[in-house]
Amino acid sequence: MSGIICAIRGGASSQPTINQAILTANETKLPIYFLYVLNLDFLKKASQSRTHTISEEMQELGEFILLAAQAQAERQGMIANGVIREGHIIGDEIIGLCRELTADYVILGRPLAAKAENIFTHEQIDQFGRHIEQETGARVIYPTGDGT
Amino acid sequence: MGRHRLSVIRKQSLVSGLPLPAFRLPLLALLLLLAWPWVTMNEVWAQETAVSPLLTGRIRDAQEQPIFDAQITAYSGAEVLAEGVSQEDGRYTLLLVAGDPIPDQISIRVERRHFRETTYELPNRAIESLRQSNLLHTPIITLERRITPGFWIATLIFVGMLALIALGKLHNTLAALLGTSLIFAVSYLGAPLYEGLYIFHFEDALRYIDWNVIFLIMGMMIVIAVVERTGVFQWTAYMAYRLSGGRTWLLVIILMIVTGVASAFLDNVTTMLLMTPVTIRIALSLGINPLALLMPEVMASNVVGISTLVGTPTNILIGSYGEIGFNDFLVNLTPGVVLALVGLIAYNLYIYRHDLQLSSAKGSVSEVLLQRLAERGRITEPEHLKKAGVVGAGMILLFVLGEKVDLLPAVTAVMGATALLVWIKPDIEEMIEAVDWTTLVFFMALFISVGAIQEVGLISFIASGIGQLVGDNLTLAMLAVIWLSAVLSTVIANIPFTAAMLPVIGFLSANIPGADSKVLFYCLSVGSAMGGNGSLIGASANMVTAGIAERAGSSITYMYFLKKGFPALVITVSLATIWLFIRF
Repeated sequence: MSGIICAIRGGASSQPTINQAILTANETKLPIYFLYVLNLDFLKKASQSRTHTISEEMQELGEFILLAAQAQAERQGMIANGVIREGHIIGDEIIGLCRELTADYVILGRPLAAKAENIFTHEQIDQFGRHIEQETGARVIYPTGDGT
Repeated sequence: MGRHRLSVIRKQSLVSGLPLPAFRLPLLALLLLLAWPWVTMNEVWAQETAVSPLLTGRIRDAQEQPIFDAQITAYSGAEVLAEGVSQEDGRYTLLLVAGDPIPDQISIRVERRHFRETTYELPNRAIESLRQSNLLHTPIITLERRITPGFWIATLIFVGMLALIALGKLHNTLAALLGTSLIFAVSYLGAPLYEGLYIFHFEDALRYIDWNVIFLIMGMMIVIAVVERTGVFQWTAYMAYRLSGGRTWLLVIILMIVTGVASAFLDNVTTMLLMTPVTIRIALSLGINPLALLMPEVMASNVVGISTLVGTPTNILIGSYGEIGFNDFLVNLTPGVVLALVGLIAYNLYIYRHDLQLSSAKGSVSEVLLQRLAERGRITEPEHLKKAGVVGAGMILLFVLGEKVDLLPAVTAVMGATALLVWIKPDIEEMIEAVDWTTLVFFMALFISVGAIQEVGLISFIASGIGQLVGDNLTLAMLAVIWLSAVLSTVIANIPFTAAMLPVIGFLSANIPGADSKVLFYCLSVGSAMGGNGSLIGASANMVTAGIAERAGSSITYMYFLKKGFPALVITVSLATIWLFIRF
């Protein structure tokens, strides 16, 4: 099995990454695996007892985000799959899926402008990209512009 | 007279009727022995029923608040005449020994930790009156506060706790527990070395925990745990989308009303936890910015939540302390909340007009996503929902009518939760896990921490300071309480803030003419809840919404929330202020 892994969170900031994945899939004719990492750490500060209920809702939200990305890729004639993983560190999940699928490419999004919580800096992204390449042998591609 | 004689005859026949005279003496001795305790008890009773001179009075602080647990000693020279302790309402009663002559000079000494020892000497005419009537009501004795090192330590601990919560350095519950533990550590380990370090003991601390609040929250948590699993939120949100017919402005209005009504009966955090994911899905389906729906929703949740007693933890605190019932909140706050909601809707439609119009023009509605939305927008447990609806309606009825029979809201909540559990028979372990114990522990620790600053006198000083600032002016007091609490709630977690403010409001309500209508409690409710819209950290519901939105790629940063939320605070608090002035 081989393919292109593209981790997304949804929203406008994920659009260049999705576009780049579609572009790469078009060039390589490989299937895309959109990855959504479910992380409920934010509940620790608010209401941990609600984890049971909210995890189902967040799972559904993740599927919805993946469905939107898949629909976009399929409209352009690409084969796209959605994968949800529950975890605390997105990097570990990307590497884990990469190994499972023996993926050829990993599309890594870069921060657009303002830094928000959980968004990597450019340096961290580059460092993380090199780490993925060393660990899995997959080639890391960074979106250029909006990827269109 | 006849009955008396008959009894004498019977006694005689009992003894004389025995066959052997030799047994009469030991029998009499036995009877006397058996009768002895009765005889001695009668003697004691006779002594006690002899009229004892009684001294009564009241102890209060400089803010005219009753002081409980004060040690009161009546003495004459070196001789202690009587001792007693003041009760919750500050009253005390001293019983002097009956039959003893009343001395010519009597003093009453009052001792209480964190207060200066005070002695009151009874005037001669009071002593004479006591001799004649055996009863004397002494004048109210006012104790002055004493600033001890314990005062500063308790203050420092409380401020530190607030800072840890505000900066997010520790979980709320852990911060409150740390504060409580430090207070006890200082009192138990420090005070034996230096008396001035004393704050209060565990037994005193327990007195400050409001169990009405704890049980009300616990009962409501169980009911919510059942309701949230029925899929009613997802269904409601989907129906809101369908009702709007694709008109995004109408969708915003419906979602705000739905979220607001849900928040009025359930806690805001749960409401937003369940509404946020489905709202994001609707936004994605319509191709609009999710924040254009989420921000109005969370603001509506913060505003409308205060229309009922059970809508927010702050209202539960206020209702329990101020003895304000379910009906009182409905009558005195709900119209103001509706007014504020109208203003909030208009404001949100204006600030998000471009986000909402842009998407309509784009025609970016995704049919695939809408189909998925429809699949999930259904009631998953209709039977449970029906039963929860019946029990919920019964609870609301009891909340409304229960006040007539002094049925506490906490009792209604626990009865409702139990009825629901018995009726639907869920996995009890799951239900117990659904109760947010960390929040309940937080409340208990918080009550103790607030109790500590109350005990050492910080609350009295704050109350006194505000009292001096506003004087007898109720209008000024209302404005000060509403706007101060609204602005402070943007930076301080509103639950500890409200808990600390309650005794202050209690003092102001008792001392400002016209404030006995409890209007200042409603001002606190409005300020602390609507103030939550002023910043991201102003309310837990904001944090939860931001957390979920972040995981869907829509960041709500501190500055973004401040920019959109602070004007909303000004609008809603202004409208609610106008209402409170009309109402009171």
